[in-house]
Parts: sequence; C-alpha cells; structure tokens
Amino acid sequence: MVRTAIPVIVAFITGAAMTVAFFLNEKTPFVGQISEQLLDWLIIIGGFTLLLGVVSILRVSWQSVQRRREGWVYKIATIVSVLVMAIPSLLPVSWSPLFGRFEGSIYDWLFMNLQSPMMATMFATLAFYIASAAYRAFRARTPEATLLLITATLVMFWRVPIGEALLNHLPGDVPALVNKYVMNGVNLAVQRGIIIGAALGASAMSLRIILGIERTYMGRG
Amino acid sequence: MNFWERFEKMDRRWVYLMVGITVFIPFLIPMKFPISVSPEARAFFNAVDSLPDSSTVMLVFDYYPSTIAECEPMTIAGARHLFSKNCKIITLSNIPYGGPSMAESITRRIAKEYGKEYGKDFVNLGYKYGYVSVLKGMGVSIESIFPTDNHGTPLSQLPLMNSVKNYEQIKFIFEVADNATADYWVSIVNAGYSVPMGIGCTAVMAPKCYAYVGAKQIVGLLGGMKGAAEYEILLNKPGTAFRGMDIQSLVHFLIIGLVLLGNIGFFITKKGKKKASS
Amino acid sequence: MKSLDVLQVMVQFESKIWRRVPLILTSKTFSAAHKCWLAVFLLVTLFSQPAYCQDEATTFRFDRINALITVIIFSGAVLLFTRWARQGKPLFLRKIPGLEAVEEAVGRATEMGRPVLYIPGIEELDQMETIAGISILGRVAQITAQYETPLMVPVRYPLVLAAGQEVVEQAYIHAGKAEAYDKDMVRYVAGEQFAFTATVNGYMMRERPATNIYMGAFFAESLLLAETGNAAGSIQIAGTGRPEQLPFFVAACDYTLMGEELFAASAYLSHEPIMMGGLKGQDFMKILIIILILTGIILVTFTTGAGETFKSWFQAV
Repeated sequence: MVRTAIPVIVAFITGAAMTVAFFLNEKTPFVGQISEQLLDWLIIIGGFTLLLGVVSILRVSWQSVQRRREGWVYKIATIVSVLVMAIPSLLPVSWSPLFGRFEGSIYDWLFMNLQSPMMATMFATLAFYIASAAYRAFRARTPEATLLLITATLVMFWRVPIGEALLNHLPGDVPALVNKYVMNGVNLAVQRGIIIGAALGASAMSLRIILGIERTYMGRG
Repeated sequence: MNFWERFEKMDRRWVYLMVGITVFIPFLIPMKFPISVSPEARAFFNAVDSLPDSSTVMLVFDYYPSTIAECEPMTIAGARHLFSKNCKIITLSNIPYGGPSMAESITRRIAKEYGKEYGKDFVNLGYKYGYVSVLKGMGVSIESIFPTDNHGTPLSQLPLMNSVKNYEQIKFIFEVADNATADYWVSIVNAGYSVPMGIGCTAVMAPKCYAYVGAKQIVGLLGGMKGAAEYEILLNKPGTAFRGMDIQSLVHFLIIGLVLLGNIGFFITKKGKKKASS
Repeated sequence: MKSLDVLQVMVQFESKIWRRVPLILTSKTFSAAHKCWLAVFLLVTLFSQPAYCQDEATTFRFDRINALITVIIFSGAVLLFTRWARQGKPLFLRKIPGLEAVEEAVGRATEMGRPVLYIPGIEELDQMETIAGISILGRVAQITAQYETPLMVPVRYPLVLAAGQEVVEQAYIHAGKAEAYDKDMVRYVAGEQFAFTATVNGYMMRERPATNIYMGAFFAESLLLAETGNAAGSIQIAGTGRPEQLPFFVAACDYTLMGEELFAASAYLSHEPIMMGGLKGQDFMKILIIILILTGIILVTFTTGAGETFKSWFQAV
C-alpha cells in the first residue's frame, strides 16, 4: 500500500503544482516558488542518477569478467575506458594540466580524438543503411507505395544542387513547386497532424499519471 | 535466376560498397555544383543580418559530435556572421557530450579572426543538466542556472553578463540542434518569452521544423548540410558544407538510380512470373 | 472587458465557490479526482487572494487563459469518458495492427527458441514516450514470462534502468514466474547514443533475437537499429512519437505505431475500461481541434474581422 500510495501522491502534488504554476505569475508566493524549487531538484537528482549508471555498468562488466562470460575481454576494455576517462577528469586541474576537462587534459584529448570520431563514424554509417533501406523499401507495389516513391525521388533531386539544376530544365519552376506543395504543403500538414496527435496522447497520459489512474510505469496496475 | 532477379535480391553489402566508392569520388574530382538558396535559409540570414549592431545573441550548441558534419558549419557561419555585426555572443549547450567543448573551440577560433575578447564579446556558459528546467530557469535569471561560466568564473566577473539577466536582454537565439531540444526551445522559450529564434538542424529533423516556420514560431530554418551551405553562400564564405554538397549530390543520384533499377527489376520479374504461371 | 471587471467577476465567482466547498467535499457525487482538482483550485485562490484587488501585474496569467480553457475541457473530457468506462459503457477502439502482433511476435520467438529484444527508447524517464515505453514493457514482460521466452532490455539512462527493472520484476511476479526473473534482463548499456546503438547492434548480430520491439523516443539510431534487426532476420514492431523517425521505422519494420498510438498502447493492451476512457477523451479533443480548424479556415477565408478575432484567441501562450 505504501509503495503504491506514496509515489502516486508525490506524482499528483508535483504534477498539479507545475500545472497550476504555468498559469500564474512566476513571482506568485508559494506556488511560483514551488515550481522553481522542483525544477532545481530535478537538476540535482539528475546529477545523482549519472552516478547510478556508472556504478551499474561497472558492476555488470566486473561480474562478466569474474565469471568469464563470453566476450569478457571486451568487458575489461569497458572498465578501463570508464576509469581512464572518469578519474583524470575528476582530479583538480591545479595538480596537473592533464587533469580536469578543459583543453589539454587527458579527458579532452580522448574525447576529441577517440570518442568524437567514433560518434561521427556511427552516424556516417547511416548513409549506407539509408541506401540499402531505400533500395529495399521503395518498390511500387501499391498505389501508395508508388506515390511514396515519386515523392521521395523528387525530394532527393530537390535537396541537392545538381538535382535542382536538372529539375529546373523541366517545364515550370519544379523546385519551387516541391518546396511549396510538398515540403510546405503536404509534409507540413502531416507533421502538424502527427505532432498534435502525439501531444494529445502525451497530455492524456500525463493527466492519467497525475491523477493516479495510470500506474503501469511503476509496474503496477 | 536472370539478371533482374539477381539484382532485386542483391546483397546489401554491394550497396554499401557502391555508396563508399561514390563518397570517395568528389575527393579526387571536386565538382563545385552551384547552390541555390531556399527561402527559409534566406529568411534566417536576413533575420540575423537585420539585428542591430552589438545585440546580445544566444548561440546554442545543442548537437552531438556525431552530427558535426551537418551542424558545425552552421555554428561556424553563425559565429562569423554575428561577430561581423559586433554582436555579443552567449554560448551554451544542453548536450553533455562535447557541447561546451565544441562551443569553446569554435567561438575562440572565430573570435580570433575578428579580434573579439572573451568575457566582453563572448561568453561560454557551458552545460547544465535538465534542459526543461534550464530553459525555464533562464527566463527568470540566467545566473540562477549558470552561476559560473564553463571555466568556473562567476558571471558577475564577466562584463558581458552584467547587462544580461534573462531572455529579455537576448535579441535572437541561434539554435543549432540535432535532437528534440529544438522543440523545447520553441515551445518554452519562443512561446513563453517571444524571443525571435532560428533553428539549424540535421536534414532528418528539417521536415518537422517546417511546421515551426509555417507557424512563424521560428524566423528561418537551415536544414542539414544544404542549409549550412546556403548560409555559407549568403555569407560569402564557402566552407566545409559547400564542399560536402558534391558528395551529397552524387550519393543522392546513386540512391535514386538504385531505386529506379530496383523497380524496373521488380516489374520485369513480376511480369515474368505472371507469364510463367499463365 | 477591462481586467478589473474580469477580476471582480472572478472574486464574485470565487465567493460562491467558497460557500459550496463543504458540500462538495463531503458529497459522494464527486469523485476523488474532482475533489482533488477543487482542492488545488482553492489553494491557488487562497494564496493569490491579495492580487485580485490589483489592477496592475496580476497573479493570474490572463494571456494564457486560452490554454487554461483547453486544459479544463481536455481534463473534463478524459474524466467524463473514464467515468463512463467505469460505469460499463462500451467504448469502441479501432484495431492497431502493431499491438495485435505483439503477442504473436513473442510466440514466434518462443517457437524459435530465440530471445525478445525490447528497447524503451533512448530518452530519459521524464519524457512521456519513455514512460509509455516502460508501460508497454510491463505488458510485454508478462507475455514473455508466460511463454518463458528470454527477454533483453538495454537502456541508456540509469533512471530508466531502475524503472525497467521494477516493471519487469512485477510483471514476472504477476505472471507467477518470479523465479525466472533475472535482474540483468534490463541492463544499462551506455549513456552515449551511438555507443548504445553499437552495443545493441552487436547483440542483434550475435544473438539474432527473433523479435525486436522499439517503443519510445528514438533519434538518428532508429534506422541503424531497424536495418540491423532486418539483417538479423527479426520481426520488428516499432512505435515513436517523433515524426522525423517514423519514415525509417516504416521502411525497415514490419509494424509501426505512429505518434499517439504509442501512448494508446498501454491502455490498448490492458483492455482496462478506465484507461480506454482516457483514449476516448483524447479523440474528443481531436474532433474539437478539427472543428476549430475548419471554423478558422471558413472565417479567415470568407470574413475579415471575425477571422482575425478567431485567430487571436489561439495566440501562442
């Protein structure tokens, strides 16, 4: 009872306070300050949760190494990476310019020279994946699929300089028509529809959570 | 199995190889295709250009290092444009992974070109957790959210921040994002405080941001590398985005070619199957 | 109407409410939810009392009154349909193929002896999409518990890890399979987006899960995950509220839930009338928005003054 009731009560009070605070002047006594306090608490709690994640990944990786599970060597690499990035960045800069997070530190070097290129590489693989997905998915099997195919082809032409130059050779100002009727017409309407629908869905779910009707996120109900 | 059937069932690794070769070609043969400027990019540029000199602007680095290719040219062009108008720039980031570092390195590099001084002409506030609370909190007081800058210097010791308390003193927000923080800037900051705003985003996010342009919640939009290239053209300083358009053009053509050939193969195979069954 | 006149009307209205407060709070006609909202309203008026007499900067944000009216109508619709659902009135919900396929997809995984991979999005727990994903995870975990199918849930944030573990544990207990629950079913993988994606992709190519379910907020990694899942031969069901990621899921997944279907999933899978009532309230608001859009189009197209007045009612808050 307590495990269910307390989170529901906290959800209701905080949700209601933030909702009410939206309609009041920030300088309103009591309610205005509650919303500011809650926002500050959110920032503080977020900092603590970062620690939770680090502890979790170290625990799981260490257990895999201890039990010699499949791929345990890579878990050693995970643990070493976490420690090598974290420990120097936490030490004061006054001890050595290699410590801390700023330019010239071990953390900054590892981030700019290892992590950033790896992140960019992963994002770049999207170019390959989009090519294979487009090749597989854009087949004129049905009238809707044909429409999708034609629109996608037009937009792909329109989005690059030489494609735009080719479209300009067609009668009428095709790039302007694509911009006006496809991007600022159909696309705009559909995006708005989905955004409105998703926003209503999120609002209804928020309301259900605030009022305690929806408790599935706690594993109950 | 005939040629078209084999083509239709082609292993995806052949597609990857073709894309890889196509990406490499413009490095050997630069093509420099002419770029036309979209109305959205022009509106963005004009909005920044019409800012009074010495206006205070927020240049927001809300992108991860993974989208450097698309987003960094926008921030570089934006910083150049703003410094050329003697605007005061406040940079910040809602991205913990490299946002403050990228802001620091880009603004310092561009500031040197224009002889600008840290603390007087530009300030890097760094990163703070919880973007919703950060954006809302800055509406009341920037110092309450960022008591110090990215280097730990109290804001009261930075001349630029003496005249900037909250959004009321910010004349424009130049937001460059590759994630949903752009939506929060629009729904919280622009909607709540009516600060004029322009968004530079990845090409994937651009279709969604057209809704904001249509509703006049943002003054303009830079969509992907093309948007960045358009801004560079308008600024008369072609950079990495302009050079990247060659690659993007060829890869788009490759994908269109594969799709068309795939459909031709699909119809020929379908026709063959119909003939065989009848 | 001047702001002072509006204030006077509100003060008179408020005094009428105060007289009726004891009756309302003790009445059985009003549900607990109604009483709670009344309590909040009273707290607000109590603490903003001094401002009602001022003609200058007031406590209440009159520029946001349109949002307040929307919230009141929306809340009223949701509560009203929830009440009707509790009373047993039948409520129609259209079929959502993606959700109908969840149980079948888990069954497929059981037959093939391969695991189910579930990703509740890559955003923090304060995002509604993540909460929706965690809610659906509970339902899916119940099914995997019943069928004794291995379940793997990689997460990107520690709070999502804690919530996911709690939800899966409760699901297994609820299904009577508490001993089958393993805390490491839900594991924190990496905080960085592409490190997370690389780990999950590696898992997909090694373990070849039979079913991949992506429910929550996704960004650029959506296509990376979906294409890799496709290459691994998994049946894939995806749902996200991000319109920019929907095309990638539609191209690479077998079933896709779009936008609000994701938020409806929890209610849809539970078949509980009380939750389905909330969905009907949403639909009511959508119909209202459509009517307002059509009214606006007609007024703005065929009139001048009326159209501008109508537009001004919906200025950004």
